[in-house]
Amino acid sequence: MAATTLRNTIPRALRSASAPLHHPSVTAAATQVRYNTQSATDARSPFAQAGSHRTTKIPDFSKYRGGSTSGNKVFQYFMVGTMGALTAAGSKALVQDFLVNMSASADVLAMAKIEVDLSAIPEGKNIILKWRGKPVFIRHRTAAEIEEANAVKIESLRDPQTDADRVKKPEWLVMLGICTHLGCVPIGEAGDFGGWFCPCHGSHYDISGRIRRGPAPLNLEIPEYEFPEEGRLVIG
Amino acid sequence: MTITNSIYNVLFRRNYVFVGAVFASAFAFEMGFDTISDKVWDNLNKGRQWKDIRHRYVEEE
Amino acid sequence: MLARTALRASTLRSISRQTTKRAASSSSNASKEQSPRMLNIAGTAATVAAVGSVSLYYQQYGFGNTVYAGTPAEEGLHAPHFPWVHNEWLKTFDHAALRRGFQVYREVCASCHSLSRVPWRALVGVTHTVDEVKAMAEEHEYDDEPNDVGDIEKRAGKLSDPIPSPYANDNAARAANQGALPPDLSLIVKGRHGGCDYIFALLTGYPDEPPAGTKLPEGLNFNPYFPGTGIAMARVLYDGVVEYEDGTPATTSQMAKDVVEFLNWAAEPEHDQRKKMGMKVLAVTSVLLALSIWVKRYKWAPLKTRKIVYTPPKH
Repeated sequence: MAATTLRNTIPRALRSASAPLHHPSVTAAATQVRYNTQSATDARSPFAQAGSHRTTKIPDFSKYRGGSTSGNKVFQYFMVGTMGALTAAGSKALVQDFLVNMSASADVLAMAKIEVDLSAIPEGKNIILKWRGKPVFIRHRTAAEIEEANAVKIESLRDPQTDADRVKKPEWLVMLGICTHLGCVPIGEAGDFGGWFCPCHGSHYDISGRIRRGPAPLNLEIPEYEFPEEGRLVIG
Repeated sequence: MTITNSIYNVLFRRNYVFVGAVFASAFAFEMGFDTISDKVWDNLNKGRQWKDIRHRYVEEE
Repeated sequence: MLARTALRASTLRSISRQTTKRAASSSSNASKEQSPRMLNIAGTAATVAAVGSVSLYYQQYGFGNTVYAGTPAEEGLHAPHFPWVHNEWLKTFDHAALRRGFQVYREVCASCHSLSRVPWRALVGVTHTVDEVKAMAEEHEYDDEPNDVGDIEKRAGKLSDPIPSPYANDNAARAANQGALPPDLSLIVKGRHGGCDYIFALLTGYPDEPPAGTKLPEGLNFNPYFPGTGIAMARVLYDGVVEYEDGTPATTSQMAKDVVEFLNWAAEPEHDQRKKMGMKVLAVTSVLLALSIWVKRYKWAPLKTRKIVYTPPKH
């Protein structure tokens, strides 16, 4: 900033004949000496002789320049690059921690799974559990019911799904007990297809929880579940 | 001299290579740093953490 | 006041002197230079004023001396500082001690004190295995969700349940303890002045007999570390009151140490993770600090070694 203003004042100073003696003219030493000669073409450059009686001694910097130029460059880039890498790693960890902070907390996760002891459910019986505030139907199906579920022609269904797609073990049917129409809770072992019947608007579900008749558009939803060991079921 | 020159030419001459190397080494550093600091931490707290006393209470396996 | 004025005047003058020295034009007002003697006087006056005000403050209030309104008996004896290993910078809790401390809590403290902010699942992987905690949780009964007819039944505890409280609510707790409420212990280490030291001193500080001349209301016990010295809780930790499964001798101080460490964990379950993270962050940031200092010097070196020189032209 200061250098440019000074440089701009130089031609003006030259043009005015009554320029005072102490008006600035500048020599930049220790960096490359550069003169703005273009704007002063009409005048004799005041710096023409500046070199001859220069009073400035440029210090010797060779001691600080170190070894080879290329070695210096590699070292400098290495330092800058290392700083960039560490900063990147640090900010990645920071952002990651903030994002992890937003995910479900341990108490929510602890409530998100329920365990069921399957040995308490006799064959051909339904139980209803609460999971994340919603009812879950678990049915221990008999062999006849499994056969019946497999016998259905998929092409005839509104929401075509094979029974094998809807169960992990054929004898255990696990579904969310919420009618896909308007969210009522269907009644078990009722309806025209031996499965579930929604009393609100009369949707009939079969023994695989598939919609067969009534206004509901989709089959009953299947939650995430797994059998960690024989006789135990974990939903969630 | 030649080594430094070649390092310069390979890594630093083109900015996208340089920036890419910086991010790649950030990931490499993170992995290595985590491993090392885990080791240091476990060494400083030998016998104090749950994993050091867990074997007393787990019967199976 | 005088000194401050003098100081201000001298600073202004010295700044102007500096600028005139630095500026390229030399015809400014640098003619009236202040004599160094005046500057010395101003500096001395400022120093005297500063030292004087600091010593005045020290005389009146002191540094870091807390002023107590009450007598030591009213305030409670200040707990000595104990060398807690887990309070060192890079040390985790001793999880074997946490396990013993939980046993002490469960067998001794839990008959009066709740630990309502700690769920069973928090113990998993800290002091106990999953199966152990599940078994412990199942020993207790909790209210189930309303059943089909709206009644609330009882069910066995699960991992997500909190550790049960001994009393249904604060009023029941007061009624059972002659009006004194046993505080919840979840955050007691954070909530009491002196933290671990205070609780350890309190638990082990019951004298065999109260000092001669002390008069305490009926039902209170003497403990010098308790503010007011009269505490409703009686001494509970006697040698051998619990039997540790790992064979550690259950002396009073051992049990007190273990349960205090456990309560510290209950108040700061993130403690181990936090210290590890702190170690990593300090390691990286100290290297980053060194690097950034180098880069700053590197970037500024050409600017700082540059010199702008005025050479008057010869006409």
